[in-house]
Amino acid sequence: MAAEALSVGSLRRRSRAGLSNRQQSMIGVAAVLVFLPLVFRMEPRNFTPFTELAIWRFLGEGVVTVLVVSIVAIVASLPMAAALALGRLSSQRPIRLACTAFVEGIRALPLLLLIFYVFLSLPRDLPAFLSRETIALTAALMVYTAAVNAETLRAGILALDPCQMEGARSLGLGHWGAMRYVVLPQVFRDTLPSLIAQFTTLVKDTSLGSVISMVELVQRGIIIFQGFRNPMETLYIVALLFFFLNFAMEQISISLRPSAAER
Amino acid sequence: MDLGLLASGLLVTLELAGLSIVLSLVLGIAIGVMRAAPVAPVAILAEGYIAFFRNIPLLIVLFFALNGLPASPLGIRLSYFETAVAGLVVYTAAYVAEVVRAGVQALSRGQTEAGRSLGMSWLQTMRLVLLPQALTAIVPPLGSVFIALTKNTALASTIAVPELLYQSRIIESRTFNPNVLLLTGLVYLAVTLPLGGLVNYVEARMSVVGARSQGGR
Repeated sequence: MAAEALSVGSLRRRSRAGLSNRQQSMIGVAAVLVFLPLVFRMEPRNFTPFTELAIWRFLGEGVVTVLVVSIVAIVASLPMAAALALGRLSSQRPIRLACTAFVEGIRALPLLLLIFYVFLSLPRDLPAFLSRETIALTAALMVYTAAVNAETLRAGILALDPCQMEGARSLGLGHWGAMRYVVLPQVFRDTLPSLIAQFTTLVKDTSLGSVISMVELVQRGIIIFQGFRNPMETLYIVALLFFFLNFAMEQISISLRPSAAER
Repeated sequence: MDLGLLASGLLVTLELAGLSIVLSLVLGIAIGVMRAAPVAPVAILAEGYIAFFRNIPLLIVLFFALNGLPASPLGIRLSYFETAVAGLVVYTAAYVAEVVRAGVQALSRGQTEAGRSLGMSWLQTMRLVLLPQALTAIVPPLGSVFIALTKNTALASTIAVPELLYQSRIIESRTFNPNVLLLTGLVYLAVTLPLGGLVNYVEARMSVVGARSQGGR
């Protein structure tokens, strides 16, 4: 293990002062985090609200909201993404054109516009166990993520060895059977790191919920700093929470990346 | 429906995007070069910048700029438009830097060694040998970064910059017709789709130039 790390370290030109990329990254981020309060003259007394458990519980509920919305959006987006990817590869010209137009169109729009549109078009009287804001944000994020993931899945399908399809077909499976039982499972496995990378974007994009005054993490930050009049310090803490959420996701994504031996 | 508002919004969006593209390219290249520098503290600081700003939402960067710049020791007082540019540039520069770094490090190590052995300093090697080669290779990923930046200008509406989305929301609040956003969406498409085409065009042109110069070698 130690010998392996040593050889990788000597092969990797980027390593400086014997540090791995991840260690450099952590030290660099720590430096930025020390730097910001100095540059923006944050005051220690403005951090005192964050010594109280109630404030952290309040922010923690925001973190849970962010995670739940992100997970629901990405899970719900996958079937739609798969359908769009297959649609773009369809032999039927109208289906292909419609799916291409939808995917390219959604991807070329600002997400905020999509969120506003869904929010404003929702009927006023929804069955109210969820707020309109939550439904609008989740639905908009789902559609947007589906369009982005459709491209990832399409690339994955195209990158898969055609022998997989041919093999499945010659075993007697139909085109759809082969897609469902042979091609798509492998594509999902191969594209998992990219799909998880999209999750990072999704976590960041939930912050747009605050624009339609949904009470997620950023909105909770705004509520806190309007009460304590400490905008910089609160935004700093919220930024930290987002950073660590994404950092954790990235570590999970790296650990899921198939190693060379598995391929 | 007041189309004049949309037109003025489009103009602000284009100004916002154009200015931010130029400035984030400059800042991003500077940070990308720092990231590839052989001086550990410089490289690590640049890496910290990239890692931090790629992992926090743009909205927070914008709010930070809005509240923080006047309060900082420099006491920078900016208009809403300039604040939006500052936020977009600081955020996007991290993505540009990552692309530049990848482009520089993808070049053969022999390029650096050749430059250095010709007596050039590290900075000269970077400026005269590595960056010109890297820049031609990174046009497609840079293009996607700038298209994302153009879409991100919509967030400037949250800090009262009268750009496209802001104006269309004003129209919506007067008419109660959310479909005005569909029209705005078409305007955004008319901006971002040609931008994608432009990236493809530049990429094609550059690859031809690259092939020619390689043939002459």
